[in-house]
Amino acid sequence: MAEITKLIDVSKCTGCRSCQLACKQWNQQPAKQTENYGTYQNPPDLQSNTWTLIRFQEIAEKDKVKWLFRKDGCMHCTNAACVKVCPSGALHYTDFGTVAVTNSLCIGCKECVSACPFEIPRYDRVTDKIYKCDLCLSRIEADLIPACAKACPTGAITFGDKNAMIKKAYARAKELGGDANVYGDKFVGGTHVIYVLTEKPRVYDALPDKPCVPFSLIVWKDMLKPLSLLAAGGVLAGSFLHYILHGPKLPDEPGKEEKGGE
Amino acid sequence: MRKGLIQATDGFERIVHWSLALSCIALCITGLGMMYQSFNFIGDMMGGLKSLKYVHNFTGVFFGVALYFTIRMWWKEAGIFSMPEDLAWIRCAGGYLWHVDKVPETGKYNPGQKMFFLVVAGFGVIMFLTGLMMWFPLSFPPLIVRLMYVLHALGFVVIFAFFFVHLYLGTIGSPGSLDAMLTGWVSRAWLKKQHPKWLKEMEEHGTLVVYGAEKPSAKGHH
Ligand code: HEM
Ligand code: SF4
Ligand code: SF4
Ligand code: SF4
Repeated sequence: MAEITKLIDVSKCTGCRSCQLACKQWNQQPAKQTENYGTYQNPPDLQSNTWTLIRFQEIAEKDKVKWLFRKDGCMHCTNAACVKVCPSGALHYTDFGTVAVTNSLCIGCKECVSACPFEIPRYDRVTDKIYKCDLCLSRIEADLIPACAKACPTGAITFGDKNAMIKKAYARAKELGGDANVYGDKFVGGTHVIYVLTEKPRVYDALPDKPCVPFSLIVWKDMLKPLSLLAAGGVLAGSFLHYILHGPKLPDEPGKEEKGGE
Repeated sequence: MRKGLIQATDGFERIVHWSLALSCIALCITGLGMMYQSFNFIGDMMGGLKSLKYVHNFTGVFFGVALYFTIRMWWKEAGIFSMPEDLAWIRCAGGYLWHVDKVPETGKYNPGQKMFFLVVAGFGVIMFLTGLMMWFPLSFPPLIVRLMYVLHALGFVVIFAFFFVHLYLGTIGSPGSLDAMLTGWVSRAWLKKQHPKWLKEMEEHGTLVVYGAEKPSAKGHH
């Protein structure tokens, strides 16, 4: 199956949050009690039942205020740190190149939470499992576009073939000019959610400048993990060789004890 | 029990040792069940991988307690090297690797056992501390937690490999040793070969407990 990509063009986003609501609706997630902390961003952060969130930022410029809206959520990495650490196989790649969760398999170890370079998975205490956007797997399997893309009234969220979307993103960034740039196709093997940003990445809240699979994960999963079985196997082989070549350490026969040593 | 056998370990020592050993094995097996998805089936025996996770976590707590008593009990005997005889022993690898005419005499634990003890105690403490933090990873900054997973995996590499060394040398690699862990009573010949200096010390101090003989004062560990 062909890889797909969701393109988020922040220049077209008006912060209406239709996507946020559509996501809740399609995935049957209730709202949680929230609090006003002096911004339109609501709820304050991603939650176990809020898989996508419009982050609101106010940037003060000379005599006016500029708004930045960014739709946050799972980036569906090609080299996904969360899949690399998940002990149960709950997090897995799909044929579309996206990263889905089989919640029945999740054991609530939260390893994915500290592994994800975008800080996406959220833990729910009640079910003892993690949750995140699955790029509407049930919809794309049925040839429908994701609920958030469907709901977006301005065309800020579009969805389609990976290469076509990347092309489209670069064309749009060029059209916008200035600091506009494409974010996502260049790191962690390329993400399956990409942005057209109007500002440099570091201007945005909670958006890493140069995300990567943490080095500690590579040491842990690619080096120490295989080494554990190799070392144990080596020791077993060594013990066997020791037994047949050098022999066990036997107590001396009675009478011969005085000699001592071997 | 046979007449003439010598008591090498007391009951407390054996209970602590078995507690540490069994919990360590259980932790290695359940840990493997989480490290390799191809070993996920180990969880099936416990009612699923989620139960396996909790078996691992609570066995970990038990391991921590056993480790505390182990270190307290054996620190003086196995945690400190006595020079120069330990150095001489190390230079000839205790006669384990090549032929040595006269292996330097060591006390209750030889330097090999001491090194083993120190590594297990050190990594045991690391496993306990990193494991605790990994159990509640959301309470710490991700950068710290990521390091904990690396240390936990490193400790596993060391402890898993050492376990097999220990298993070999405690059983077929040195026949007679297992008795010290099972019943606590060992033969004089084994003690003389394995721990000659300790035997002499016990004879000199009159602390040798010989089965069937008039009983001198046996000293416990606590
Ligand atoms: C001899 C001691 C121990 C061994 C050999 C051991 C081994 C392992 C292994 C192999 C893993 C899988 C790591 C991976 O996925 O690569 C693991 C995970 C883990 N261990 Fe241990 N462990 C030990 C002690 C402990 C202790 C004392 C605790 C806590 C009290 C603990 C808590 C954890 C936790 C929290 C995880 C992550 C999975 C989870 O959330 O349960 N471990 N351990
Ligand atoms: S963004 Fe995080 S949760 Fe999503 S696929 Fe990448 S690593 Fe996994
Ligand atoms: S919390 Fe669930 S999804 Fe995340 S790594 Fe653990 S088992 Fe996998
Ligand atoms: S793709 Fe689906 S699950 Fe992901 S944010 Fe959009 S609506 Fe939610």
